[in-house]
Amino acid sequence: MKYIFKNQLWAFALLFFAFSCNDDGGEAPLGKYDTGVLIMNEGNFGTNDGEVYHLDPSTGTLTQNVFELENSRPFAGLLEDMVLEQDRLYLIANTGKVEIVNPGDFKSVGSVIGELDQPRSLATASGKLFISDYGPYDVSYATPDSYIAVVSGLDGGTVKKKIDVSNKPEDLFVSGNNVLVAGSEEGKIEVIDAETEAVTKTLEVAGNPVQFFEYGGEVWVYSYDSENAYFQSINLSTLAIKGTKEIPLANSTSRVALGDGGQVYVLTSTGWPDYVDGVAVVSLVDDSVIPTWKTGSGFYGIGYDSERQEVYVANAKGFQGNGEVKVYGKNGSDVNTLELGRGPSGFLFR
Amino acid sequence: MMLLFWVFSVFNFTQAQDTVALEQVEVYAPALDRFAQGQKVLNFNIEVLQTYSARSLADLLQEKSPVFVRQYGAGMLASPSFRGTSAGHTAVFWNGLPINSPSLGQVDLSVLPVEAIDHVQLQFGSAGALFGNEAIGGSVHLGSRTAFGKGFEGKIAQTFGSFGQFNSAISGGFSSKNFSTKTRIFRQFAKNDFGYQDLSQPGIPEMKEDHAQVEQLGFVQDLAWNLNAKSQLKGAFWWQKADREIQPPMGSNTQDFQSDESVRAVLDYYNFGPRSVWNLKAGVVQDKMIFNETLNQTRQFFVATDYDFEYRADWKFKAGARATWIKGDLSTYSATDQRYEFYQSARWQSVESLSISLNLRQFANEDGLAPFLPSIGGDWSFFKTESQELLLKASLGKGFKVPTLNDRFWEPGGNPDLLPEESVNGEIGLHWLKSGLFSWDQSLTYYRMQVDNWIIWLPQGSVWSPKNIREVQNQGIEYQGKADWKLGNWTWGLGLSYTYSQALDLTTNPENPQQLPYTPAHQANGNLSAGVGGFSANLSSFFVGPRAIGTGNARIMNSYQVWNAGLTFSKLTWGKVQFPLSFQMLNLLDKDYQVLYLRAMPGRSYQLNLTIHL
Repeated sequence: MKYIFKNQLWAFALLFFAFSCNDDGGEAPLGKYDTGVLIMNEGNFGTNDGEVYHLDPSTGTLTQNVFELENSRPFAGLLEDMVLEQDRLYLIANTGKVEIVNPGDFKSVGSVIGELDQPRSLATASGKLFISDYGPYDVSYATPDSYIAVVSGLDGGTVKKKIDVSNKPEDLFVSGNNVLVAGSEEGKIEVIDAETEAVTKTLEVAGNPVQFFEYGGEVWVYSYDSENAYFQSINLSTLAIKGTKEIPLANSTSRVALGDGGQVYVLTSTGWPDYVDGVAVVSLVDDSVIPTWKTGSGFYGIGYDSERQEVYVANAKGFQGNGEVKVYGKNGSDVNTLELGRGPSGFLFR
Repeated sequence: MMLLFWVFSVFNFTQAQDTVALEQVEVYAPALDRFAQGQKVLNFNIEVLQTYSARSLADLLQEKSPVFVRQYGAGMLASPSFRGTSAGHTAVFWNGLPINSPSLGQVDLSVLPVEAIDHVQLQFGSAGALFGNEAIGGSVHLGSRTAFGKGFEGKIAQTFGSFGQFNSAISGGFSSKNFSTKTRIFRQFAKNDFGYQDLSQPGIPEMKEDHAQVEQLGFVQDLAWNLNAKSQLKGAFWWQKADREIQPPMGSNTQDFQSDESVRAVLDYYNFGPRSVWNLKAGVVQDKMIFNETLNQTRQFFVATDYDFEYRADWKFKAGARATWIKGDLSTYSATDQRYEFYQSARWQSVESLSISLNLRQFANEDGLAPFLPSIGGDWSFFKTESQELLLKASLGKGFKVPTLNDRFWEPGGNPDLLPEESVNGEIGLHWLKSGLFSWDQSLTYYRMQVDNWIIWLPQGSVWSPKNIREVQNQGIEYQGKADWKLGNWTWGLGLSYTYSQALDLTTNPENPQQLPYTPAHQANGNLSAGVGGFSANLSSFFVGPRAIGTGNARIMNSYQVWNAGLTFSKLTWGKVQFPLSFQMLNLLDKDYQVLYLRAMPGRSYQLNLTIHL
């Protein structure tokens, strides 16, 4: 899910890069998928039909199964995360692999296959890949052997080392030589030195941390528990929690998207048996919260298109087949509804 | 038809002196043959079953019937879909005992080896009135065949095949005029280390499947005593254990292991009157499944009785009742259920050409009364000469399925408020029979069915819970034809079958309903055989059309056609001992295909079967 924030930054960087290239005479023309919206469809458990769709919001053209279209083989995995770094798009499958494609044309440039268990996310540092992985399930479906896998080389290859971390690591954030790991189950942030590949510090945080993002010149980690959503800013030089915003918002989930002006869209779900899903809007400026900006059921992913100021709410439709996305204006107005792939779970706005 | 075997065997000791026996034969036949007028029924003869003796019921049904079998890999979970319905919409019986798991509401056809059974009969369409719970899309009837007066009989069979297949079977039986016993023990093993193109990896490398090994052990005992000229006791016992490495879909590296152990036992008492038969039946079915280290176990106890009688020559009746006690000890819950059902059937036959049957059933369990289930059907032989007959069949019936124990009680997510799934099925068929040197048997059936309150498990956040959500409208055409002829010394046989099956999901997008997932609209199979002397050769093929992997405009999987060929020689003998030999080539053209998305299936393989009949 980290791509939501980090990749907006990257998108800006790319945009800047693209414009500067254009100024220099267009040495690197934009690829087919360098603009528009990349849609992550997780796929159905046991079917491994995760895929990426591409939407051109200006024309409404939707391209299905982009990975298979460009590589003549199916993605064949459950797509957990998409990370755009170092001019590469990393597609992380929680079924045990990372596929690396060229972001412009989606052609495969590498992979990490065979030594991962349940990878969740990825970050690059010091020319290496750091992959958060739940590790294998034990007999009671717990994951006591979670790790960060290290691959030396940005185009994949074999796993060089597995660094033990707390259970269920999710998002990663890189600051200089430090790789920050959101340890979701035990409420920790672990700091890994990218050179020595060892955990150097562990921070205790409120709630279950799942997502890093940058806002207002600060790095934040989003975490949640059954009663609250927490936004904690991190001092990157001392590697300590600087400040904590505790927002009373019951039933927050791991799915969030950063909007404009310090607004964060948070998917909420009462879960079984009532099963009422919603979108809440939290303001990091005045700590206010709109708990039920939207309600429904089946919400599975959220994204914010800062260029068009639109909110994308994905609905998995019970994983029975294709899911859909509803696009809303910032004011909540209906803009569009589109049929997507199976289990749409996130968006990358380019 | 199948019970005709029983019947002959039961009565062949009396036939010489008692010509009334044939009438009793008729009475002794099961409901499927006596009261299923107007319904499509398919029988597999003993030759076909012998060809499949080293394989499972899943292969037989996929390759030789209009049923679509959803196979999760080689030797993996295989569930039947009759007329576009789901696996749980098929009632499965063994010697009259329902053997679907009460927690899952279905059977796995892969762990029903053809070796363990002597006859297979398929019935299509909703037949809740005749067969009760779960007979929505159709029903499968399996059983043992009892012989009398045959003395000692024995068989040793060994199959060697590709991908580490090594099957062994031994059976022995003895029957006198009044006593019959048959014991069979078998082991079926396959390493399943077949090669496949791994679509999940860059470059699509050729990989060897390394986690699909299957080992099955089985023991079947059949016993029958003719207590006196008027009564018979008959029992059957089936123990079986299957240990399987679960083949993951391409792209997954799971190393799951599943063990299925079943015990099924049935005891029947028959009392034959001059124009009636009274049957008392008791049975036990126990299923124990261990998935990795999680244990799920269910037990079912059955007591049933029915009374068959004839009134004059043109009326036949049957009335009966069955009680079922179910106990489930699953990994997340324990639950019990009690089911009681009462049923009756009546059949009227005019002269020779028209017969009509009416069947009724009322089912009740702890949740109360299930919907009352009637069915009516008729066969009309409207054209008949010495060598040809045209038969018109029509029927209308309801089916239902009570929610399974998992549906009701699974923790978390089980939904105790679920309603039974319900169906209505109507069909009309034309049957054309021709005897003589060039004989054929052709049938064309049109059916229409509506299934409502279809239960689907849906995610409610991280918990999945079942709901009565789906409504489906099915219709289709089933053609089945076979012809036999002689040309010189050669005996030829040709079989062709085509099925069109439309199953529209009226729930997901009611304005533009789409075909249900994994429900091919088109299926076909064919078979050509030729025999001379003790040699016979056959070439067969089956075709499965495109199918979607999900609702809506989901991904469509390609159609596939697979060819099989076989040679048998049955005249090798030494004294009274026979040594039939057979050699089979499966997936002759090495077709790379998947039944379900990303589940690799084996390419070309060979099987050599050696048998000794003592």
